[in-house]
Formats: sequence, C-alpha cells, structure tokens
Amino acid sequence: MILKQQRRNSGNGLKALVVFCAGLLLFTSHTQAEEGAAPAGITFESDIQPQLTRLGCNAGACHGKSRGQNGFALSLLGFDSDFDYDAVAHEGRGRRVFPSSAEESLLLRKATGQLPHGGGKRIDVGSQTYEEIHSWIRNGMPRTPAEAPKIVCVVTEPASRSLAPLEKFPLRVIAEYSDGRRRDVTEATAFQSNDRTIASIGASGDGVVQAGPVPGEAAIMARYMNHIAVCSVTIPLPGTVPESVYEALPRSNFIDELVWKKLKLLGMLPSPPANEATFHRRAFLRAIGRLPSVEETQAFLMDQGFDKRKTLIDRLLERSEYADFWANKWADLLRPNPYRAGIKSVWNIDSWLRDSFRRNIPYDQFVRELITAQGSTWKNGATVIFRDRPESIEIGSSVSQLFLGVRLECAKCHHHPFEVWSQDDFFGFAAFFSRVGRKGQGLSPPISGGEESIYSKSTGQLNHGPTGLPVLPKTLSGVPLTLGPDEDPRETLAVWMTDSSNPYFPKVMANRVWAEIMGQGLVVPVDDIRATNPASNEALLDHLALEFRQQGFNIKNLIRYIMTSHVFGLSSVPAERNVTDIKNFSRFYRQRMRAEVLLDAVNDVLGVEEDFAALPPGSRAMQLWTYRSTSLFLDTFGRPDLNQDPPCERSVESTTPQVLHLMNSPALNRKLGLDTARPAKLAASTKSNQEIVVETYLLAYNRFPSSDEQQAAIEFLTEGDQRRRGIEDLFWTLLNTPEFSFVD
Amino acid sequence: MTFHRNCEGLRRRDCLKLGLGALLGGGLVDSLRSRGRAEGLTARKTSSILVWLDGGPSHFETFDPKPNAPAEIRGEFNAIQTKIPGVLFSENMTKLAAISDKLTIVRSVRHDQNNHGAGNHYMTTGAPTRIPVSCGAFVSFHPSMGSVVSFERGASDGLPPYFSIPDMSRSGGPNFLGARHAPFVVSDDPNQESFMVRDVTIPKDLDDARAINRRKMRSRLDQFVRFHDQAAGDPVIGADENYQQAVSLMTSAAAQRAFEMHREPGQIRDSYGRNAFGQQALLARRLVEAGVPFVTLYNGGWDHHSNIFPAFRTQGQKLDAVVARLIEDLDQRGMLDTTLVIVMGEFGRTPMISTLPGSTTPGRDHWSSAISVLVAGCGTPRGQVIGATDPRGYAAVEKVYAPENLVSSVYTKLGINPDKILYTAAGRPTHLVSDPRPIAELM
Repeated sequence: MILKQQRRNSGNGLKALVVFCAGLLLFTSHTQAEEGAAPAGITFESDIQPQLTRLGCNAGACHGKSRGQNGFALSLLGFDSDFDYDAVAHEGRGRRVFPSSAEESLLLRKATGQLPHGGGKRIDVGSQTYEEIHSWIRNGMPRTPAEAPKIVCVVTEPASRSLAPLEKFPLRVIAEYSDGRRRDVTEATAFQSNDRTIASIGASGDGVVQAGPVPGEAAIMARYMNHIAVCSVTIPLPGTVPESVYEALPRSNFIDELVWKKLKLLGMLPSPPANEATFHRRAFLRAIGRLPSVEETQAFLMDQGFDKRKTLIDRLLERSEYADFWANKWADLLRPNPYRAGIKSVWNIDSWLRDSFRRNIPYDQFVRELITAQGSTWKNGATVIFRDRPESIEIGSSVSQLFLGVRLECAKCHHHPFEVWSQDDFFGFAAFFSRVGRKGQGLSPPISGGEESIYSKSTGQLNHGPTGLPVLPKTLSGVPLTLGPDEDPRETLAVWMTDSSNPYFPKVMANRVWAEIMGQGLVVPVDDIRATNPASNEALLDHLALEFRQQGFNIKNLIRYIMTSHVFGLSSVPAERNVTDIKNFSRFYRQRMRAEVLLDAVNDVLGVEEDFAALPPGSRAMQLWTYRSTSLFLDTFGRPDLNQDPPCERSVESTTPQVLHLMNSPALNRKLGLDTARPAKLAASTKSNQEIVVETYLLAYNRFPSSDEQQAAIEFLTEGDQRRRGIEDLFWTLLNTPEFSFVD
Repeated sequence: MTFHRNCEGLRRRDCLKLGLGALLGGGLVDSLRSRGRAEGLTARKTSSILVWLDGGPSHFETFDPKPNAPAEIRGEFNAIQTKIPGVLFSENMTKLAAISDKLTIVRSVRHDQNNHGAGNHYMTTGAPTRIPVSCGAFVSFHPSMGSVVSFERGASDGLPPYFSIPDMSRSGGPNFLGARHAPFVVSDDPNQESFMVRDVTIPKDLDDARAINRRKMRSRLDQFVRFHDQAAGDPVIGADENYQQAVSLMTSAAAQRAFEMHREPGQIRDSYGRNAFGQQALLARRLVEAGVPFVTLYNGGWDHHSNIFPAFRTQGQKLDAVVARLIEDLDQRGMLDTTLVIVMGEFGRTPMISTLPGSTTPGRDHWSSAISVLVAGCGTPRGQVIGATDPRGYAAVEKVYAPENLVSSVYTKLGINPDKILYTAAGRPTHLVSDPRPIAELM
C-alpha cells in the first residue's frame, strides 16, 4: 500500500492530471532503466496482468469485485499489482499455480473451462495466451522487477483517422515505457467503440477497425492495464466540399473557426443564420430566461445598426433577470431539501447564489467562497453546503463532480472503473474537509430548524475506508499534504482547484455554460469529464476553458463570447449537408423551455401573475427559492424532486402529460378567462381584430404574423358578444403550439 | 420496537389471510373469473406488467436464500418453504411463497454492468450501454421494452400503449423510436380519494364545441417548420406525437374509465393494500384490462448498501403482499394467461454483508453475477425455478442467462420477434435484441 502511494504521489500532481504520463515520467526519470531492459522472459506486471484485464478476469462483475468471486479476488482492472500477484501466486494455498506441473494450475484449468468456471471458458488450450501463462508459471511466476521500466502512457496509432464507408484499417496500440521504449500491446488491449454502427472493433485481439455503411464519427477506446487511449474515427459525408467554401464561412470569433474545422472533417456545412426575430427571441431566452416584450421585439426588428445582435447581448447581460435565471440553474445543483437542511438554510443559500450572480463575482471566487465557507448557516448562505453534506466523503464527492467534472463516487468503494482514480484519491480528496467544524444544532430532519455554525477546526482527520488508517488531504494525483495546526485544508484545495494549471476547473464550467446556451454540452453529461467520455469537439472545449480563465473567470464574458459567435446565431433548420448533425453545432438545436421559463412565459403572454406560496405577489417562477412551493405546472414540466433518491434530473423531453396540461389544466384555463388578463382587456379595447392578431403573435412568438397567418387567425375571431371568447381561443391556440414552447 | 413490529406484522398478515379467504369463498371471485373467461374468448392480446425494483434488490433476501451459507453471507433471515418442493424463499416473501405454484423464479440471470446507470439500461432494454457509464447516469442507447411494445403493438381505444407508474425508470425511454413511444407517466397517487389522472378531460367550464374549435384553430395556425428527416432528431416531431396521443386519450371513453379507481369494489381495493404501491398495482391491472400492452410499476429504494434487514421487514413485506395480490387477482380474473408479470431490478447484491465507510448499519453492494427474476403468466410454466447460483450465491452457475435472453422471452411472449431489425434515426439497422434466444424454460 505504502509503496503504491509513494509511486503515485511522486508525480507533480497537476501536470500529471493534464497528461497522465507526466507524473510517472517525473518519477521514473531518475530510475533510468538500462537500455533494452525489456522483459526478457514473461513477468507478471508486464505480461500476465494485462491478460487478466483483457480476458475480463478482473472486471467488476467477476474477480475484480471488491471481495472477489468464489474466494479469488483481483483488484478491479488490475490497479493493484501487489494484491493481484499475491492472489494468483500465494493465496488459495498456492493451488492456483503449480510450477512443477503448470498445466494443472487452477488458473489455467478454470480459464480453459477444463474445470467448472462461473465465468465460462476464456481461453483455448494451446492459444498464445495459454502458452504465455503456462511458461510464466513454469518459470516460477516471476514478477516484473521493481526497477524495470514502467508504462508511462498508451497511445493509439493512428490517433485519429478518416475513413470511407465500409473501409477497414488496423489500429495499433503502443505502450510507452519510462526508458523510452515503445512496445506494441495491441494483442493484450481491450477495445470498445462508442458507436458500433459507425465503426466497430473486436473486443480484443487484432485491432481492426471496420467502418459501417453510414457517415458519422466514433471514438474507439483502447484500455491496456490502467491506461486508456482514444482513437477518433470519422466517416465524412460522401462528396467533396471545396476548401474555399469553408474559408468563406463567417467568423465572429474563434469558436466559429473551431466549429468549422470540425465540420470540415465531417464534410458538413452549417445552416444559414437564423432570421432576426428568431435570434432575438433565442437571445432573450438563453441569456435571461424570459420572452421579449412587444415593444422590445418591434424595436429590435426596426433597428438598422450593423452590430445590433452584439448590442442586444450586452444589454441583456445587464438586466436584473440575468441573476435570477442563472442562480436558478445553480440552485438545481446546490439547493438542499428543506426537510433535511431546514427551510432557513434553503432560503439562505438561495439568496447567496442570487447575490453572487447579481454581482457577477468571478467563478473562481464563487467556488472559493463556497468551499471555504465559514460562519452561521443562518447568515452566510455558502455554509449551507456543509450543513447539507455533513460527512467529508459526501462533500468531497460533490465538490469534485460539480467543480471538476470528476466523479469520484465510485472510488469510494473501489478503483474507478473508467478512470485513473483510486480509493486513495477519493479519501485523499475528502480529507480536505476533515477539519470542517460544526457548532450549534445540526441536521434533525424532518424539521431541521436550528442554526449551525461552520468553522475550521485545528485538528480533525478522516480515516481511509478500507484500511482504517488516517488519510492526509491529497489533490487528485497529487502528494499528501501535512497540515500545520491552524491550517484549513480547504484553503489549499481552493488554491489548487482554481490554479492556472488545473485543466478540469475551467473546463467543466465552460461546458456547463455552453450547454445552457447552445442546448447541449460539448461533453454529455456536463459534469462527467474523462478520457472515456470524449467531447464532441475537444479543441473547442479546451479553447473555451482557456478563454474563460484568461478573462479572469468572468461568467458574463464567457456567456457573451459564446453568444456573439456566428454559431450561436445559426438557424435550427437543417441544410443540405448537416441533416444528420446532432452534436457538432452546425445548426442550433431546438429545445423545450425549462419549467420555470415556460411558466413565466405563459404568464407574461397572458399578462397575469402567479401566486406562489412563500414569495411576494408579482414574483416570477424564476425567483422561487424552494421546491416546496407547490406548482402542478412546474411538477409537470419537471423540476428536481428532492423526496426522490436520486432527485430526478431535469428532462427537457416533451411528454404527453405536459401537452395535456397546457391544453386542459383548470389553472391555465382560469387564467385565460380572467377579466384582468390580456385576452379580456384586448377584447374590451378599441383595437381591431387585425391589430389584436398582430399583438398576440408578437407576445407569444415574438414576431409578426405572415399575411396568411394573419388572415387565417382573423377568420376565427368575431365581433360583438363572442369577441372575447375568440381572443381567448387565439391565445390558447398559440400557447399550445411548439413555436411557443420551444427555444428555436 | 421489535414487539410492535412483530405484532403488527402478524395482525396484518392474519387480516389479509382472512380477507382473502372470505373473498375466495364468496361469489364475487367466481363471477369475476367467469367474466374474465368470457372476455378472454374474444382473444385478448397479451400484456405485461413490469415491477421494476429500482436500486437492485438482493437475491438473498427475496428468492434465492442461502440458509447453509455462513452467517456473513446468509444474513439475518431464515428461509421458508414454498409450494414448490425443495424450493425456499426468504422469510419475508410469505405470500409469494404461498402462491409459488403460480410463479417461475429465474435464479440465474447475470451480466457485467455493476452500476445503476448501466444495469438499468441492460435489464430494461436488453442491450448493454455503448460506452461505460457510471452510477448516476440516466442513459438511453436503445429503446426500452415498454417502448418497443408500444411501437410494435400500439393500443386501442385511445389509450397510450405504455404506462409507467409513478415514474419512468432511467432507461425506460423510447430512444430512436420517438416520443410517442415514451411512457405515459401517472405520477398522482391512486391511493388518494381525489385521485384522477390530471388534465385528461377538457376543463369543466368549456363545452365540447369550443374545445373542438380550439383544436381546429390550432391545426390551422400551427405553421412551425418541422424537420421530417428522422436523422435530424427534431424534438418538435416528438411534441406532435405527444399531442396526437393527448387528443386520443381525451376523446376515449375506455381510457377515461380505466383511470376511475372508484369504480373498483372496495374489497378489491382493500385487498391490494390501501397504500400508494398497492393501488398503483391495481391501476396497472385496470390498464391491462382496458387493453394497455405494457405497464411499468416503478418502485424505488432497493439500493440497500446499508440497513438491508430492517428494510426487508417493511419494504420487502409490502412488495410481497402487493405482488402476490396482483398475480392472484390476475389469475382469478383469467387474465394471468395473457398477462406477463415480471419482477426485477438492475442486479442482485453482494454475498458478503458489509458496512460501507461512513455507514453504521450493514448492507449488501451491487452484484450483477447473480440476479433473481420473478416471472408469472402468459404461458409461463407455473411453479418452477430455473437455474441456480452456487451454494453461497456468488454467481449464477446453472442455466446461466443474459439480460438479452430475458428480454427476448418477454418479446416472444408478447408476440414480438426479438430478432427483428429496427432502424435508428440515422437509418442504421440495429437488432432489437442482439441474442434473440428466449429462456427456453419460460416458454
């Protein structure tokens, strides 16, 4: 254990994060192995262990499970060589291997199905793998010498490749060792394609990538021991697009350059820009989550200024709705269940969030204030995250997922199956919160009304789950830190997280913001950043992260940067060469408004107010500070349900109950018919039916009706007694069409 | 505490036994049965109710107890006899044990997806996830069983063909089959007196003529551009499908009637248990009766990393009572022969009882090498156990089946060819199930 820790810790943490190779390089550079120290014979770490991985022996469902299978336990995917060697060579009273009569070894007899094996037959007698294991046992199961060169990283050759439909190519996987040696390990590598119909590869063995019949892209993952490499394969659309067409595409900023570059690779072309009215509505909904008023729409459409789109975005970002809209998104991530944390705490963290966005505090400061929060949960809202997650391991895994996009949760119990994270990383990260002190009344569900104070203790330690030993705080892939008596490790963590060399920190936020504005993340899910879940455009995500950092983590500037790209203003309507694109942003992707935005939009169109419990009259859904305020509308269109475990994630999928709710809900029909609502007022006004139709279109669709639409709508309206009824029906109609409820 | 629990448990069980006895002896059941048979003559199509135990229920504490294993594997509960000679259930499954002659237990399903996101996907779609996903994931790479049944079978009388009550499971969606094959979720609690499925009727103060006029107006004025190429993935097409479904639901008398729980005799409602889960099961039966081919009864909270034993004394007993009642009721109505009931979760639980870091009570962790699945109805042989795990419950070792085989069995029973080729949005061919062999012993 200690040996392992030293090995991992010897790297210079942050750099090792960027390139997994780096950390080990630093360490191994002073253990210069002799030239050609390539394993002469077959040894455990370099030859046998990779086979155990490739054959699936150490997979989570087999012997890799924390307590193994039928008494034979291996570390998950071979992350702990000492443990695995012990299990194979010594445990089971040595029955698993018989050097004197290697073919009688349980290891071989089970794997070949000669003895009953829960996992079935994995290899054939006489196969190359069989012979390798056999000769290793016969030679007395040598381990790979500790001073032998270590694998630094694994690469695929090629790293990316463009293919014609149905074309094949051999993919090689090369392990690079600390002595500079490179070794072809294709045969012992496990492969997986993330889209088998685009490009497939056998699970292991020959490494031949086979393109499917249709254009698209796929990532081929190669795993050799704990190392993962990804080869991206593209099958461009048939037909060629002249270079000059790409050169001529407009570029407002570097986002466009990177999106066009990706499209070029796929042989795709973007849609034309959206029309003015569509852009205007989209900008309002994406920046501040509300519809523009009739006057705002008219003014924008009349404006002849050449940079009116840019001016619009600048103005939107200065509006008061901005803070409510973006704080509301963050509340989804941080808002506790009032039954658990207490209603006053819930209110406090909500106010803290809104205030942070109102002041547009830089994102690094935002995160620092949260994770180092001290004081009363009744006064400093940021402290509430510690009240809600009283255990170091709870807050640790939340912080790594929210702010680094690293899901350590799995590593609580076992080595992370798709990543480099181990239990040491998990407990080391959680240990940053081991000195969080609490005074006052802690959680006492279901009321939890008390006040609690969060402070930094001078001592406190976390014990490693499996070993029970005290754990020192350790950044991901970093070195354990020794703490002075008055140090708050959370301060150190904040410095490390926001440091300019931390690649995860700006990336996950850049991806979140991109997803909110463009309707889809570059990485999906937005907070799951890992080699085995590649971004649809890695270069773009890197660029956004860099830009965000260089702008001092200014959130508004990041939003502005994305919204002023040409890409943001593209039409959603597919053109000839991008019909199949659903992730490269060659067009805007339509999305239903989220629940609060839609409810506010309905009320704005009808000119009515919602009466929310626990909020002053006139408040908007976007200002709700607790999910406890009852609203059938919001429940139907989806908001987190904190009584569920896990709280349901928001879905933007349209459902039949939602359609029914807009059509038939008694509450909505009552609003339509209110004397104080807009339909009644319009009916009572002196406006002509034609004027009323134009106004209704401007309210609901934020555009003028076409002459055909105008004509058709007027035909449904009457004069006299039935005028009001007709106008109500017109409002009902527009609210019940997708043009109203979708961001286009 | 213990006294109270035991006492209450006994009383409830006795009451139920009495209640059922009375029912069985009376004329009501006979009349129901004859009615069911009469209706059956009109060749009622097959249906399925999937009781989804989200989180992954332990095989030890349900249908695969290991009374001879060491205590750290066996756990706190005893094994009890069932009606199948030599077959034991865990002690909280008393009512299911009593009707075990109507059930099949498959003890030998296994797969290799040990987290909720991937396990849910594998078990509910019959396909593993394309890329590794983690526990928190809500992913869909392939249509769920309910969506496929909806796509293949449709429903009559304006009812949506696929319901999920009271929630959709993580991978329960339609994927490339499109939004009209997403489940219709009934989230309101049918145990409430005021229960009605929301918004399925026009508002009270609106007359039919006006409602019809509104819909006419909508069809005339809705001029939003749709992208009809499926590969473009236009979500508005999905919303249109939802709209069509909404209108047919509103205009269907049969659909409206299925939701009217108050039409159900009080005795029947009592027999299912006056709690949300019980009444949801009853609603599922009503929907199947009305012609819905697939209903998912979603029941959460089975991820017992800790506190497993107390949980099975409450939650486990409730499950036992509700599922047993559902199967009996279906049988009494002659519906069991055409209704497939499946009870499962994403995986089993670890043999060795353990206490997680930071936890104080013991539990079991995720374990996909041994999964027990309860299957009843639709021609499934009655009173058998298929396959076995080793003596300590580590792995399925006899008649080992994959989720593909289980899902293929469901499709086959519902008259769907599991070997069928479907086309995704991009026009790519994909097999409905990659291994279309059903579990022979279920057929």
